[in-house]
This record gives sequence, structure tokens and C-alpha cells, in this order.
Amino acid sequence: MLTLGSLAFASPWMLLALAILPILWRLLRVIPPAPRQLRFPAIRLLYNLRQQEQTPAKTPWWLILLRLILAALIIVALAHPLLNPSARLPGAGPLLIVVDDGWAAARDWPQRQRAMADLIDRAERDARPVVLVTTAAQSTESSPRATGLLRAGEARGLAQAMLPKPWGNDLKATLAAIDRLPIQGAAQAVWLSNGLNDADTTALAERLQRFGGLSVLADGAAALPRVLTPPAARGGELAVGAERLGAAGEERRWLRALGVDGRLIAREALTFADGANHAETRLNLPTELRNDIARLDIEDEATVGAVVLLDERWRRRPVGIASTTGFDASQPLLDPHHYLDRALSPFSEVRRGQASDLLKRELAVLVLPDVGPMAPHDREAVDTWLKSGGVVLRFSGPLLAGGADDLVPVRLRRGDRALGGALSWAKPLPLAPFDARSPFNGLTPPPDVTIRRQVLAEPALELGDRTWARLADGTPIVTAEKRDLGWLILVHTTSNAEWSNLALSGLFVEMLQRVVGLSRGIAGAAGEAALPPIETLDAFGRPGAPGPTALALPRGGVEAAVSATAPPGYYGNELSRVALNLSPALKGLTPLAALPQGVERGLYGGQREVDLRAWFMTAAVLIGLADILIGLALRGLLPIGPGAAAALIALALFAPAQPAEAQSFGQTPRAQVQRAPATGTDAFAMSAALQTKLAYIRTGNAQLDDISRAGLQGLSGALIRRTSVEQIEPLAVDIETDELAFFSLIYWPVTAEQRLPSAVAIRKLNTYLRNGGTILFDTRDQADIGIDAGGGPGMQRLRQIVRGLEVPALAPVPQDHVLTKAFYLLTEFPGRHADGQVWVERREGASEVSPVIIGSNDWAGAWAVGPNGRPLFAVVPGGELQREMAYRFGINLVMYALTGNYKADQVHVPAILERLGQ
Amino acid sequence: MLVNRAEQLAATLPPLLVASERVAATVAQGVHGRRRVGVGETFWQFRRYQPGDSVRAIDWRQSAKSQNVFIRENEWEAAQSVWLWRDASPSMRYRSRKDLPEKTEQADLMVLALASLLIAAGENVALLGTGHLPTSGRSAYNRFCHAVLAEMTETQGLPNAEPLPRYGHVVWIGDLLAPLDDIKMRMSAYVSRGVRGHLLQVLDPAEETLPFKGRIRFEGMEGETPTLIGRTDTVREEYGERMTAHQAGLKDLARAYGWSYSVHRTDRSTETALLALYVALARGREN
Repeated sequence: MLTLGSLAFASPWMLLALAILPILWRLLRVIPPAPRQLRFPAIRLLYNLRQQEQTPAKTPWWLILLRLILAALIIVALAHPLLNPSARLPGAGPLLIVVDDGWAAARDWPQRQRAMADLIDRAERDARPVVLVTTAAQSTESSPRATGLLRAGEARGLAQAMLPKPWGNDLKATLAAIDRLPIQGAAQAVWLSNGLNDADTTALAERLQRFGGLSVLADGAAALPRVLTPPAARGGELAVGAERLGAAGEERRWLRALGVDGRLIAREALTFADGANHAETRLNLPTELRNDIARLDIEDEATVGAVVLLDERWRRRPVGIASTTGFDASQPLLDPHHYLDRALSPFSEVRRGQASDLLKRELAVLVLPDVGPMAPHDREAVDTWLKSGGVVLRFSGPLLAGGADDLVPVRLRRGDRALGGALSWAKPLPLAPFDARSPFNGLTPPPDVTIRRQVLAEPALELGDRTWARLADGTPIVTAEKRDLGWLILVHTTSNAEWSNLALSGLFVEMLQRVVGLSRGIAGAAGEAALPPIETLDAFGRPGAPGPTALALPRGGVEAAVSATAPPGYYGNELSRVALNLSPALKGLTPLAALPQGVERGLYGGQREVDLRAWFMTAAVLIGLADILIGLALRGLLPIGPGAAAALIALALFAPAQPAEAQSFGQTPRAQVQRAPATGTDAFAMSAALQTKLAYIRTGNAQLDDISRAGLQGLSGALIRRTSVEQIEPLAVDIETDELAFFSLIYWPVTAEQRLPSAVAIRKLNTYLRNGGTILFDTRDQADIGIDAGGGPGMQRLRQIVRGLEVPALAPVPQDHVLTKAFYLLTEFPGRHADGQVWVERREGASEVSPVIIGSNDWAGAWAVGPNGRPLFAVVPGGELQREMAYRFGINLVMYALTGNYKADQVHVPAILERLGQ
Repeated sequence: MLVNRAEQLAATLPPLLVASERVAATVAQGVHGRRRVGVGETFWQFRRYQPGDSVRAIDWRQSAKSQNVFIRENEWEAAQSVWLWRDASPSMRYRSRKDLPEKTEQADLMVLALASLLIAAGENVALLGTGHLPTSGRSAYNRFCHAVLAEMTETQGLPNAEPLPRYGHVVWIGDLLAPLDDIKMRMSAYVSRGVRGHLLQVLDPAEETLPFKGRIRFEGMEGETPTLIGRTDTVREEYGERMTAHQAGLKDLARAYGWSYSVHRTDRSTETALLALYVALARGREN
């Protein structure tokens, strides 16, 4: 082997062939280039020309140079160049490779495998046998921790198949295995360490050193793994901490929160301050999203230590407190909700409201403090939800004692039982210890918790089964019944301190926790003996099916240490999963400390031997291709010009560089999403929402639209002059494109030619009408038309237009309708024509504004004023009184649309006045 | 497309009336006065009656004005017949640069424009080699266009000797790179019948200048023997001499037979070439 600095040649004698290059130069110069082929019509004139100079054209010098480079590349490639050739292994005897394959090695496992392969290559060159020893606790006793003496080929196969384990190292067992090795005499040991200190690190290093020599490869501080600790709930937030070893400069990582299906729920920066080993971030998410989080990890940190699986323990469950009355904040200590609120909020999200409203959202537990009989639709919603798996927790109180409904797990006696007090010699009773079957099993009732008053259950056969807690005298104090999938639980006392001091005790909180925990399937798992593995993580933090060695966790094994038989992952059953994480056990990690004297220490990823033969060969092939292309181009055989040929050659030469660049372009940071500038829609919405507008439908008939605009202009003027309405303006609206929600009244003149609204517009109009909008349809056909008669052309068109609309049943405006008295007292509603019938929604005791008003009097025509303020059209049959009445109708209409029907009360005014008079 | 361009080209010139002392015998009535007495529609002159004149030719009104008897003579109106030919051999499908048109394209353009001009003047036109009789009018032009645009596979760069009527006109458009002797032989076959002709040599600039360099193996376009030239730049001068000699030979030949000769290079404007042809065809009509 010939070595020149960092370059070496495995077959240096091939380099002698470089001597032929000058000869090649001469040869290439002498051989003329192949002639160009050229078709030429006047060839006859070329025959038998005297050729003065017989020396043919020469090959261009740069082409000869290119060919020489090609030859030189081939020769160098045959000499097998190596960059950074590895030194020979020191020492003698077998090569002992100790590989840390615990979780921490997963951070850069490929590098460790390369290091192993490199070592094995070098051992192969010196024909030394190899022994592989792994340090992680083995999954089964049978799998060998240390191999025997292996040939390099076998060892390479084993090294390639080796995977890190998702648990820690067991150096004691490794020491024992090394002691059993069949090595006589000297050996060279290499320890591929994970860079973490261990109690037995020094012992193992010394033992290995005794073989002959030891070199240790370890990661630098920056390459040591980061550990993500399980989050803690802080109020509504999840506080997540991360640890690193060997504090260095500021480091910014990303915390990812992933859902069960792997989708990204949140991504938060996790910043280690300069010199700090701890970083913390908080996830503030809506409860539904937060409960979806199944896994937290540090982005680009591929070890199981940087993964935390979440289970029910981290979920905030929404608990609804149903109230029939408003929350009386003035006297919180008497309020039955107050104690519940205080007890539940640390571990769950508390909502308040009507039961049926609460159940519209996802809910884990519905708490009913002492409530009276529920409204029927509330009751129905609660029943349905309970049967489909909800948990209803009900408290007693005077209302329940007064008259029980059937939303109780056991039949109750009417009235309550008072213990203690002036008229009783019984003392307030404490709670008895909880049964083994009770979900409260494990909680200890404090002796000072006493119940003064309770409701009593009727004795029944199933009462014992349904009792979860009793008083010291055996009276049931908490009963529960399973209704289909859900639980109905009744606490026979109040949720405030009125009947007992239970609500003041810590037991109350714990009991509520158990009840909340009962929801969504926790109940089933609690009683089981063992939790079988569902899904386990490998050392890289990737979920997978549990291996054959994973055993079921013992009951309450959530706190168990991660080991070969208990890899991190999910345990339990599909209904209730318990997460076992590696990171809680990783306390007090320290980087690899000083090693015994004489141990050679190195880093992973040093200069690796690179075989350059393939690169040289590739370059030679590319230049060869270029040469062929150039040759063709020079002979005129390429169908492209010389410039294009040069470009092609350049492309061929630099093609290998292209993909790399493309990749780097592909990995540019996420593009900033630019906010779209405010669109025309926004401008429309702003203008429509910032000021009251009288909207009219743009019919497409320019003349008609002008009349509508002028009419509404005139009406606006009248409104501003006569009423408290200020600043009202007409606005044209396109039903196809514009949002209608801003308008309380839309004037819609109907013509026979009008286009029918599209399906989208119909949907929009329906939404508008349903949400309290009012449309005034003006058919403008003067004839007196009944809705059921044939009607004029406008009315016929209107029928087609409203075909898809949700128009209620209509009736002529009744004598006492609000329209007749919203501002002026009116008996008829003339426009340009006087005698048209006006139709509104037919509803007895209507409490809302009629969504549709239909008439044919052409009001806009009567209201319309020109720029000089004079009316534009004459009214028929005529008289300024009619125009005045038209304006009055318009004002009444706008008042009706803007203020609703409160003026309907005026029907009672005579009676009220009469009473007042008395 | 080509026809359109030809029409545009022809639009730059007035209709072309072919000069001829003696019109080809086949030619029947034409529309153009020949400024002499003959068969025609238009009045030319009155002449004193001479014995032998047809009585029917006497113009009685004129005779009544004087003592003599006059006969009415009309102007001789006849059309000339022109046979056009353009080289369609493979050697015409050549261009030395991408931005140049092929020679055959130029020749087609020229022959179409010429036909258009001639027909506009009422002359009779036919494409030599098709066997059509010369005709005039718009339909004749259409037929001519079809004949030109139809794929013609000629293998030689010269027209065959056809028995044209005497005193016809021919126009040859081609690269005329055949040996001078061949050209002379073909021409003499026409000349012997009193046919007058015009030669238009269409050449690619590369054929005049031989702008190539280096070692080139030249191949003919009509199956000629290839020839290898070691350094083309060294033979350029000699080639140029040969080309000049060839063109001089053509010119002499044309002059000897009373034909005209002009050269068109494909990088020059077609209008110029057409004008030259126009002038050559129209020359002598005045005298």
C-alpha cells in the first residue's frame, strides 16, 4: 500500500501505467479526427481538386487533453485509491467489541454500526477473530450476551442485524458474560459506549483493559441523548420538561404532540438556555385537542427516552355541572356548585349550564347537584347520554328529598334522615371503610368526616350490590346503578357543607377523581390482575407490536421500571390503556466520567476510510460519454448545434451534483404563509356592517335598480328626519355573491324577467330568513292580486323565485299587526298603487318578525326622490296623502324589521291605561 | 402557404406581358393587343380597300364619308404561351443554414409568382414536364399551383426535351449545376424550335462560397460518389474559381442562344430575382 498523506493506493503498481500517457498524447495527435459528414449539392465541382496540403486537420488540443484525463482517471481508479485509510488495529489476539445497545445508543445507531463494520473490516484485514458483546439487559436468558470467537463475515452479519433495546444497560451481567469468554492470552478490546456513566463503568473498563488494550468510543456532550420527562398538569396547561447532559450553549428543539393516529396536534419550541440542562415548555390546548394527545416527543431525537406516551392520567376530562338556576356568586359557600367546582377543576375541565346544553359537547361526567325535576327535553338528553356510556353523578338535598324522580339508582324514601341535632339523640356518623368491590376501594375515609343528614334508600334486594359507600351504621351513602353502558351515581347527601362536612374533606376530591376516572372505561381495568402489552416502543421510539418477551404488567404496574420484560409502551386493553414510559426511571444521568489510565478514548464519526475507486470510475465513464458526444458533434452527427452539445456535456458532467442541490432546495424552511390581503368581500362586509343599510336586491334591470336605489334613498331621508334612526343608506346586494347576514331588511322588487336565484343563493336566502332576516317582496303589479289567484306577471315570477325558499304560510296583514303601529298608526299600506294586498306570515300570537312580506304596491316608486329631493313618480290614484302614507308604511316597516315586535304589547295598552286610571 | 407568399410577391409587380416578335403557333386569341394589325376585337386602323380584301371587311360608314372605299382593320390580339420549369430534384432540397430557405422552396415561390404575373396579363402558362397545354385564367393558375405543389420526383436537374410549339417561351429555374455540356444539349433541343428561354440559377450561399473548414466527407444529394477533403479551407479558392467558370459558361451559353441568364442566392431577396426575370421576359416588347 502506498500512502500519500490522507490518500493511499491499494494497488500502487498500477500507477506505473501513467507513464504511457505521453505516448498516448503523441498517438492522439497523429490520428486525424473522423471526418464530418456533409451533404452538398455542388459536389461535382469538388471532384479532383488539387489538395495543396495533405496533412489532415488535427484533433483539437482540448479534446486530446480530455481523453488523456480519461485515461489517467482509469489508471488511478485501477490503483484503488483510498481516502483516510484506517490504521491497523493495535494489539494482538482477537478483537473484542463491546457494544452499548441500550436506549441511549439509538440516538445515532447507524454511526455505531458503521464503527462496528469499520472495526470488523480492519480485523478482517489482519485475519483476527472477532467477539461481539452487548451490554443491554437481554430480553430472554437464552439469547447470548457475548458471542464466541467469530470470523469477520459472521461478525459483520451479526453487527448489521443488531438493534438497540428500548431499556438501559446492565453492565454487571456484561461483566459476568465477559468473564465467561473463551479467550486465552491477549486480546484487543473496543467499547462502543453510549456516553453515559454507570455504576459499573469503571469496573468494566478495567476488566476489558486486562485483556490487553482498550479503546472507548463515546459521543461528545452535544450528541448525548435528550430525555423528555412526563408532563404535569398545571392548571389548564401541560408542562413538559426536557433534560440534557453536558450543558452547552443555547439549544432550541421542538416538542411535538401527536394524536393517536400520528397526526401533529401541536409543536412547541423547547429551548435549553445557555448552560442549563433543563428546558420546559407548556402546551396550552383546548381540552378536546389536549385529550387527543397520545404521544409527546422531541423532534429529530430518535430515542425512546425522548418519547412520552400519554394515557388517561394526563387527560383532562370535561365535567359538566348542571344548574337549573343561575350561579349565585354572592354566597359561594352556600352554593352547592362551589365545592364541586373547587374539587373538580384541578384535574378536569368544569363546565356549567343546562344539562341539555352541556351534553351538546363531549362530556365525561355530568354532575347534578340537588336539582328539582328537570325540564322534559333536558331529562331526555340526560337519559340518552347516560345509556350511551355517560356517568351521571347526582347529589341529594332538600329538593330531592322533597320528591324523587326516577333518575336515581335506588328507590328513595320521601323525606330525609337527620342525625344529630336538637331533636335527635343519634350522632352524626362517619363513613365506613370502603368495600373491595367499590370503586372507592383504597381510599381511607378520615374519621372526622361525618354525615349529618342524608336521604334514605328503600330497602331492596339489589341495594347492597348498588352501594359503593356506607355510613358506619351500614346506611348506603353512595349508591350507583349501571344503566346500559353508563353509570348513574347518587350521593345521598349534599354537595355543599349543609348536610355533611364531606364536601370539605380531601376524600371528596378523591372520590370525585375516582368517579371521573370511572368514565370512559377506566373502571374495567382497575379490577384486572395484570395489564397485557398492547403496543410497545422500540429504542428509536417507534411504536410496534409487542415483542415475544414483553410480559403483562402486574396490577398497578404503571410505576414499574422499564426492563426487558416490560418495554415502554401501552399496556392494558383497548378500552383503557396505561402508558409505561422510560423517562421517569432516567434520573441522574451523567456523561461518561474519567476512565482508568491507559484507556484510549475517541469519538464516533472520526475520519472514515473512503474508497475512491467508484468515484474515479464514475468520473471516467462520464468523461467517456462526454467524449462520445463531442466526437459526434464534431462530425456533425448530433442533431443540435455545438452550443447545445456543450450544454449537454456540461449537464452530463455535473449531473451528480444536481440531485444534492435539489434536495437542499427541497428542505428550505416551511414557507411563510402569506396572509391574503383583504378582498372585495371584506370591503363589502365592512361597509354593510359598520352602518345600518337598507338593502335592495340587484335585479339586473338597470332602470329598476335605479328606482329601488332612489326609493330607498327617499325612505332613508324620511327615516332620518322623522325617527331616531340615524345614518341609514341604501345598498345594492347581489344574492348570488354577497353575504346577506348584515341586513335586517332587504327590499326585493320582482320583475317578470328576473333571473331565478341559483341553488347557492337559495341556500343563502334560507339561512337569512331562518336567522331572523326580513325580505319585502314587491311585485309592482298594480292589480289587486290574491296569493291563490293567478296574479300579475311579477307575482307569477315571485312564485317561481320562492319555490326553494322556506316561506311560512302567509295571510293578509291582520288589523292589529305590528306593522300597523310600529311607528305610525296605519290601516293600509299604499305605495305607488294604493289597493294592493300585503301579506305577512300567518301565525297566531306570532312572537317574531315575519320573514317575508309580500305586496304589489311598488313602494320604491312612491318613495323614490330625485337628486333635488322631489318625488320621481306620481302616485296612483294620487294625492300627496297617499305618498305620505307610503312613507309612513316604509317607516313602520323599517321599525318593524329593526326593533321586532315589542310594539305588539300595545294591544294591552288600553287595558293598562285603564288600570292605571283606576 | 407557399401560394399565398407567391401571390404577395407577384403583387409587387404589374402583370407581365411577354415580349415576342413571333407568338407560338399554338396560341389562339389572346386579350392583349400586339400593336399591329391582326385578328382581334379592337379597332386598329382604316385602310384603303385593295383587291383581294374581303368585302365583308369594308366599313361602309367610313367609305360613305369619302370617295374611297375603306376597310376596317382590328388590332392583333394574341397571348403568348410560356412554359415554366423549376428543378424539383433532390439536390434542390438543400440549405446550408437553418435560417435560410431551401432552394426548392425559393424555386417554387419564384415559379408560382411568375405564373401569377403571366396569368394576370392574360398569357398562357403551363408547367413544363406535365404535358399540360398552356392555358390562361384563374382556373389555369389553380391547375398550375396544383402541378407545382404536387410531389414531383425528378432525378435530373434539367428539363426533358419536349416538342414545344415554335416560338414558345420557356423559363428554367433551378440550380443548373449539371455539366455545361448537358445543359447545352438540352437547350439546343429547344432553341432549334425557335423557343426563347430564360435561365434562373438558384444557389445556396454555401454553394458559392464553400464556407466549410476541416476534414469533411462530402456526399452528393443525388447519389454521386462521396469525396473526402482533408482540409476544406484550402480548396475554397479553387472551388470558387470552378463555380465562377461554370456560371460564366452558363452565361455564354445563354447569350449564344439568345436566352437570358440570372442568378438568385437564397439569402437574397426574391423580389430582386423576380424583377430581373420580369425585365428579361418583358424586354424587347417595346421594339
